[in-house]
Amino acid sequence: MLSSFKGDLKPFEELARSFAAKELAGKTEGHDRYPFGEFFHDVLDKACEAGFLGIMLPGDLGGTGGSIGTLCVVLGALCRADSSPGGIVFTNALVQEILLAADARDIAGEIFGKASSAGDFLVAFPSYANPAHQDNLPEYRRSGRGYSLTGPVDLLVLGGLARRAIIPARTGSGHQCSFFLVDLDHKGVLKSEPVFTLGMHACPAVDIRFDGVRARIVGEEGKGDEYFDRVSPALHVAAAAMNAGIMRGSLDEALAYARERFQGGREIIRWSEVSMLLAGMAVKADVAEMCVTLACQALEQGKAGWSSRCTASALHIHEIACEVVTDGIQVLGGNGYMKDYGQEKRFRDARQVQALLGSVPARKLDLIGKVAGI
Amino acid sequence: MLSSAEVSNRLSGFPRFEDMSLSLPYAPRMPRGMVRETRKVVAIARTFNDEVARPRALDLDRKTHEDPDYMPRDLVELANRWGFYTMWIPRIFGGKGYNMPSMSYFAEEIGSVCLGIMNVIGVHYLGVAGVVASANTRLAKRILGEVVQGEKTGNPCLIALATTEPGAGTDVEEVELVDKGRVACHARRVEGGYVVNGTKVFISMGHVSTWTVLYAYEDLKKPSETTVGLMVKTGTQGFSFGTHENKMGQRVCPASVLVFEDCFIPDDQVLFSADMVRKFTKKPIREVTQRYIDYVVGATRPGVCAFGVGAARGAFEIALRHASTTTMNGTLLINHEWVQSTLAEMYKNVALGRLAYTEANYANSHRGLYKILQLKPVYYYLRFMPQAYFDKVIAPMLEKDYSTRLMGKLSYDWTRPEDQRCCSGWASLAKVAGTDIGVRNCQMAVELMGQAGLRQDAGVEKMLRDIKLLQIYEGTNQLNRLNVFKCLIAPEIPQARVFEEKM
Ligand SMILES: Cc1cc2nc3c(=O)[nH]c(=O)nc-3n(C[C@H](O)[C@H](O)[C@H](O)COP(=O)(O)OP(=O)(O)OC[C@H]3O[C@@H](n4cnc5c(N)ncnc54)[C@H](O)[C@@H]3O)c2cc1C
Repeated sequence: MLSSFKGDLKPFEELARSFAAKELAGKTEGHDRYPFGEFFHDVLDKACEAGFLGIMLPGDLGGTGGSIGTLCVVLGALCRADSSPGGIVFTNALVQEILLAADARDIAGEIFGKASSAGDFLVAFPSYANPAHQDNLPEYRRSGRGYSLTGPVDLLVLGGLARRAIIPARTGSGHQCSFFLVDLDHKGVLKSEPVFTLGMHACPAVDIRFDGVRARIVGEEGKGDEYFDRVSPALHVAAAAMNAGIMRGSLDEALAYARERFQGGREIIRWSEVSMLLAGMAVKADVAEMCVTLACQALEQGKAGWSSRCTASALHIHEIACEVVTDGIQVLGGNGYMKDYGQEKRFRDARQVQALLGSVPARKLDLIGKVAGI
Repeated sequence: MLSSAEVSNRLSGFPRFEDMSLSLPYAPRMPRGMVRETRKVVAIARTFNDEVARPRALDLDRKTHEDPDYMPRDLVELANRWGFYTMWIPRIFGGKGYNMPSMSYFAEEIGSVCLGIMNVIGVHYLGVAGVVASANTRLAKRILGEVVQGEKTGNPCLIALATTEPGAGTDVEEVELVDKGRVACHARRVEGGYVVNGTKVFISMGHVSTWTVLYAYEDLKKPSETTVGLMVKTGTQGFSFGTHENKMGQRVCPASVLVFEDCFIPDDQVLFSADMVRKFTKKPIREVTQRYIDYVVGATRPGVCAFGVGAARGAFEIALRHASTTTMNGTLLINHEWVQSTLAEMYKNVALGRLAYTEANYANSHRGLYKILQLKPVYYYLRFMPQAYFDKVIAPMLEKDYSTRLMGKLSYDWTRPEDQRCCSGWASLAKVAGTDIGVRNCQMAVELMGQAGLRQDAGVEKMLRDIKLLQIYEGTNQLNRLNVFKCLIAPEIPQARVFEEKM
């Protein structure tokens, strides 16, 4: 939808669509078997080649130089087929935005400027948490001219694949967090096996323990929460675009099935009960895309006062996405519950996407706190 | 004041008083022993949870992802050793004869830990219901006798039930639909039995069951009038298993594809057929078939409600534990007001779901499938007579034709349609309520827990995967809502038509 308002996004959308058709469609069940099956390194390499791992990163830093709109059309198209690569693209974008917000262009340039493969591009990040709401961040202390980190990080997304991570940490006494760049091959880094989670199995995470690991500060000390807040509205919208894509995928599959499947002597779409389910899904899928479209436009124009609206619409989209994917299974009956179809994966993935950037209740309280100025 | 005739008149208006609050008239009629028995059942379930289900549930789920061919044979053996496959088989058939409603409490307990494990135990009783509701006492005695024997010898003998076909899921739940549908499982009458050809899909526990209650049709154009119920033993020539499904949840419980190719079933394994039905009732066969379906699902759907309530409770318990041990902004979650409210809402859902299955069970106990068993004299008689009496005196009677005829008359001829509707409607109502509540609570728990809720090792994401199935099987919740309308609302509205919607 967004690309019909902004023609310059069309090529990106087309690119993501054809990538999804070629690399993802029909293979999602196999990809989703990870960590019990192989990881889709080949797909990731191709995503990197297509420029998906640095969409909003400026060209001089090795990125594609796109806007939030670009990121959203790509995420939407990918997640319509399979949300796992979407989760990877999202996490990398989040990292890059934080680096830019912190004005850490030097670090960004070092990482991405010379990157030539997906392996070089990936940077891990705890994408399911807002550091401001976390009581148990790792502790940092000064060590010589740099810093060192000690403590646990749960669900570090891409932690098992990437060589580096951006990690939020606090001092023993301070409230404000700071971000650090960490080398995950350091000997003081203890990694778990990939954590088996509800959804997005091919966007894996690990639990990590740092034990006095050398770290390089990103931006200024104590400004981590500020950076995170600054990039949040756009990234909330990006996550919402993922779920809007999942909804569209769910509706596609439900509609196709309901047109083909016969029960009671007719295509089930001709039972008004089924039509109502589909109508509910269509309403929500369209509303979601419209919200993403408007949010992207507001963000790109830097409209004052719109950031909380972006966050609000993202929360709403996630909620209706979880409803859509539930109905999406229901339309397919028993088949909807099976891995031969895409609906059960969407049911799991939509919840996982909803949890990006922190728990829903915490985000709601945060939102109203900002709106009410308390 | 009102005369008694006026009172009756008032109470027979919609909603009829006797249909709207079942516990009020029926609770006092309940034999007291049922309470003691149910307490015992719950205690057994809790012990099983601590010793077997809880330590295994998550590991087993993981194992099924590592090895998609996993079959729960160890679990079945354990459940068999714990005596679960005969607990709710009536003592006249050699089982332990626990009262039927107590199974719902059991299902809630085990379901609160793992719905997959509960299904490994519970689906067998869908098969048992299929056998018992047929009124065929001779075959019931034989098959249920094998289950009892299987417990004694340590070789589990389970019963699966197969009605769903690749082309007919919702349609086979309802005679109004089945004639318009695309059933394809054909039973050809031959000398001495039937020859079956066709495929059944999604059959829970098919691969690990000894017997399957199979429904097939003599005339695929008129299935509602030609339904036959057949008992098929695993290993019979012409009966094989296809794959078992790769499901989102409840992965310890296989859902099997059953293939029948010129599979001969002898007459003495015919459970239900038009010829048999004609021996005990003159009612139209189509009506009897619907009643048979209703007996089975009327008895099992409240159980599915209890599964859902179990998951709702499990999700609540995990969320409660999480909230009691995790801080947000330096304060324990449990001391945030919104968390207290969320937990209260989840607790409320569990309580309401439990009321729903309790009411549906009252309907069955006093107006449905097992109403005879719940009459006080019968209940105590069955409870306290020595087993030898049933084995020596009653069992031989079950073999006789008159016994099947009597059961047939009791179940199909001498019942009131309004009782049937009440049981079927309440069963559907409970099924929808309990399973929707289960989904809701699992969603709330995942949301409350944030990233911790996403992890398989935290347990709640598995519950969310497991619970979704309950909105689909035993009739989708859409079909069950329509059945609530058909049974509890439409009879009051002469112009209402169900399943006849214009295209
Ligand atoms: C894991 C699993 C285990 C199962 N175990 C068993 C078992 O042990 N034995 C057994 O026999 N079956 C079993 N089933 C089958 C189950 O009962 C069916 O899946 C269910 O009845 C739905 O049928 P279907 O899957 O064919 O869906 P369909 O009937 O194709 O339904 C698809 C959609 O259309 C809707 N629909 C269809 N007809 C109508 C209508 N007339 N009006 C309104 N809406 C309609 C449905 O509500 C649903 O949303 C199992 C299923 C699963 C998934």
